[in-house]
Amino acid sequence: MATATSTAPDLAWTKRLSSPQELAPYRQALIAGTDPNALCIRVCCGTGCKAVGSLDVLEAMKKAVDAAGVDLKVMPEVKRTGCHGFCSRGPLLTLQPQGLFYQRVKPEDAAEIIQKTSIGGEVIPRFLYKPPDAKETIAKVRDIPFFAKQTKLVLKRVGQIDPFDIRDAIAQGAYAGLVKVLTEMTSQQVIEEIKISRLRGRGGAGFPTGVKWESCASQTGRHYVICNGDEGDPGAFMDASVMEGDPHAVLEGMAIAAYAMGSDRGFMYVRMEYPLAVQTLTAAIRQAEDLGLLGQNILGTDFSFRVSISTGAGAFVCGESSALMSSLEGKVGRPRAKYIRSTEKGFRDSPSNLNNVETYANVPEIILRGGQWYTSYGTERSAGTKVFSLTGNVHNVGLVEVPMGTSLREIVFGIGGGIPNRKQLKAVQTGGPSGGCIPIPSKFIDINVGFGKLAEIGSMMGSGGMIVMDENTCMVEISRYFINFLVEESCGQCTPCREGLTRMREILTRITQGKGREGDIELLEEIGKFTNSFSLCGLGTSAANPVISTIKYFREEYDAHVRDKKCPAGVCKPLYYYEIDPEKCTGCGVCRKRCPAAAIEGEKKKPHTIHQELCIKCMECYRNCKFDSIKIM
Amino acid sequence: MPESEVTCCQEPEVDFVVLDRIIRDEFGGRREAMIMMMQSIQRHYRHLPEPALYYLSQVLSVPLTKIYEVATFYASFSLVPKGKHILHVCTGTACHLKGSGGMVRHVVGKLGIEPGGTTPDMKLTLETVNCLGACAVSPVVVFDDKYHPQATVGLLNEFIEKVNAE
Amino acid sequence: MNIIMDGKEVAADPGQTIIEVARRNGVYIPTLCHVPALEPAAMCRVCTVELAEGRRTRLVTACNYPLRGDAEIHTDTPILRQGRKLLIELLAARCSDSKTLRELAERYGADLDRFPAENKDCIMCGLCARVCERVGGNVLALCGRGVEISVDTSFGRLSPTCIGCAACAQICPVQTIRIEDVEGERRVIVRGKEASRVPLRRCTSCGVHFGPVIDLSQVMKRAGEAGVLAFNTSVCPACSRRNLAKRLAERHLEQYQGDAHTKDEED
Repeated sequence: MATATSTAPDLAWTKRLSSPQELAPYRQALIAGTDPNALCIRVCCGTGCKAVGSLDVLEAMKKAVDAAGVDLKVMPEVKRTGCHGFCSRGPLLTLQPQGLFYQRVKPEDAAEIIQKTSIGGEVIPRFLYKPPDAKETIAKVRDIPFFAKQTKLVLKRVGQIDPFDIRDAIAQGAYAGLVKVLTEMTSQQVIEEIKISRLRGRGGAGFPTGVKWESCASQTGRHYVICNGDEGDPGAFMDASVMEGDPHAVLEGMAIAAYAMGSDRGFMYVRMEYPLAVQTLTAAIRQAEDLGLLGQNILGTDFSFRVSISTGAGAFVCGESSALMSSLEGKVGRPRAKYIRSTEKGFRDSPSNLNNVETYANVPEIILRGGQWYTSYGTERSAGTKVFSLTGNVHNVGLVEVPMGTSLREIVFGIGGGIPNRKQLKAVQTGGPSGGCIPIPSKFIDINVGFGKLAEIGSMMGSGGMIVMDENTCMVEISRYFINFLVEESCGQCTPCREGLTRMREILTRITQGKGREGDIELLEEIGKFTNSFSLCGLGTSAANPVISTIKYFREEYDAHVRDKKCPAGVCKPLYYYEIDPEKCTGCGVCRKRCPAAAIEGEKKKPHTIHQELCIKCMECYRNCKFDSIKIM
Repeated sequence: MPESEVTCCQEPEVDFVVLDRIIRDEFGGRREAMIMMMQSIQRHYRHLPEPALYYLSQVLSVPLTKIYEVATFYASFSLVPKGKHILHVCTGTACHLKGSGGMVRHVVGKLGIEPGGTTPDMKLTLETVNCLGACAVSPVVVFDDKYHPQATVGLLNEFIEKVNAE
Repeated sequence: MNIIMDGKEVAADPGQTIIEVARRNGVYIPTLCHVPALEPAAMCRVCTVELAEGRRTRLVTACNYPLRGDAEIHTDTPILRQGRKLLIELLAARCSDSKTLRELAERYGADLDRFPAENKDCIMCGLCARVCERVGGNVLALCGRGVEISVDTSFGRLSPTCIGCAACAQICPVQTIRIEDVEGERRVIVRGKEASRVPLRRCTSCGVHFGPVIDLSQVMKRAGEAGVLAFNTSVCPACSRRNLAKRLAERHLEQYQGDAHTKDEED
């Protein structure tokens, strides 16, 4: 992956702020220097849009602005931002002050957009979003259901600001929370406020953050504040988007935590598969230090907090807290027993506070508006909002932030736009490889997302990955996929995980190949229960969840594979066979001639037959039959 | 111990100036930064040469076994040289649902190498990676650090042809 | 603090692990990867017990759980027996011919042939690598990850740092490490592959090889002059004892003969 290079503007002209009181006037000066009615084009440059060439669109837009040569006051500012969230529509951009949303923009469209929309004030229909099965397009961001139905607290600046320019973040409120803490609050008061907010860890475990901070603060020794940016759940990119789009939210949250705990040292652990996040964070830390918002004597006070970035090296297990700390120490990422909490003895055997990216990103607003305000969102057990990455067989694949307690129906259909290709929704998978599959349709579609409900029915909310599955998904194959993932990522220390998961993978592979045996499902359940109870760390103790939840809710599918050697979803290729319908077959002989395995036999004008033992399932016959007489069985 | 019996390291020499720059200048000789030092060394040499790890062991006063454990634990480290071009196929859940498994099988079949392996002419290395965070445009492949959204078997064949033509 | 183990009150000091308390009070808990001299690793999981602290009951490993308050522990419940049975069955597939596993299998009713044998000749308890690191040889490491994890030397080569102490062979619960002293050389063979070769010292008195050549500079570092004095010998223990006995006898004889002279003079 690419190295961390900074593309940040040179802030050499910026004077270092020497007291907390200087931030507010500085912010005012920044705001005064920008006209809210000025034309501004924000081009999404999150990883998803980058992959479809948004950087080229950004360059083209900038060139088009320069080439247009009109008076600078009228010309729009072209700004790169983090992820807007509507990832399936990229490259995309928004145009202020009209609040327009343009999707699927190509570099060659730049000049036209500048001329027609920015200068001429005209809306260009072909870039407008049209909801599935709708007749009319929607021009404004605020009218698009995908955006309108979300509640952006954590993501409020993501997609609005240039992550490589701290001034943008400050103008929109960054570090105001830190100033409040430095001027008005004691460490104890900070912890109290977090406890009042009932904020729970967003990395998956949901441990009450205020309690964790309090427990860590009460220990003696040098305190460390660590951020878990090792978002390893496949299909999850929430933390990536926050780190890439608004790194200051996370850094400010860490600084506030450090203040609360009397810590002077912090670490951002970022997985190496996120090179853009490493770039934005590197630039953000440097710029914050230049301004005096991080580092030695922050804003001239005697509070110092230095943050450095450490990268992972390709190990999912390093998202586990003790493995992460081991990796931070330059060692292998093998988890250890947590009988002594890491808040007591963690990194360097010292009290360490580890929180997820999204958890820290929630902190500044909680400090500014109060813990009570935060509880006005979400539910009794799960306060606040949650960021989800909605992927799979859904129209609107992307980043979604909703209050806790929102129903799956609202997320998948209201915001997600439902299932494409007129397919039926079959299941929703949450919680990544530690989570479970929730069968739909059933009463479960109205289940609310949060820490309690999903766990009750055998899944878990997890870190926020939400994968929508349609009727052509084989649940047995999905559970094989997750177990395979965990077998590859297991650290290998403890017997249950290393050996038990491997056996489960063997069994599931056999089943998807049509070699399932009587007793296989029961064996899967036996080993699964065992690994869930006896494994050393969270990876092992939750590894069997996808298997157990799919066996519970999709038993008929497993039985079909094992007993009847069939895959009802039509996915597991070895379980198909093809048969010629004698009623429809005209005996034309096309299939017989085309079959590369010479497996079809028949006389002219008489129904043909396929010899199953010779058939290699290449589907040539199926594709070429003009009489629709070949059936997939 | 009889010298001839110790199977000798086959690696070419390493440049100690480069190693010192990485170990001492870039990372201040800090033991905790060892993984990142190894990442820098790998970027420079396209793998982790044995002599480099021996040197690292001496400078940091870390037993060689500990360094070897780290080199074999983390998936991104390679003790054998990588090919001139590297093809990463993302096998995250969203990409898997869109057929990344089939794409890996295709390359494996066509080139005769397993994920992590390199073609005998050292031109191409195939790697799988567990989620790059670009799930909306799955399946994603990365060829020489450039991301390719909604990849197809056809696209992979193009890469292979291009590499073979070199 | 009040600790109840299998229904009986047992003596315990704060901070002691469950296994320390068990051993102290004669309660049996099976172990595979635990040795009191080394830091517990909790890798095998066979020592898992049921722990109730307050209202919470959970499964924890006895080897490394520190007791810090009142607790109730069960060491032999049906869930634990079932778990240990499956554990042994899984390990038996890796290491098919082991007396240790056979004994445990009998105790817990495990079927050693339940899973197809893979013959890795190793139960991945990590003891050899752990003791090697502790002793300072740093020869063996746990390389790789997940199901590929294995005990090996750096780069799979003969290790030049071995001191030939043979602690690895002694500590291995399934006797998969062999020591061969042959032709003046000690060979350490791990799972059929040579890990190191260390030259042996030859007794200047009787000519027998009696132990690995020791790097005295290392001894100096760890045990100072006293250590060097103790190790700096070119004579095997048997000859050393014989020499000492001879010297003692001679001195005794001298004294005896001296006394005899004095006696004559008196007469």
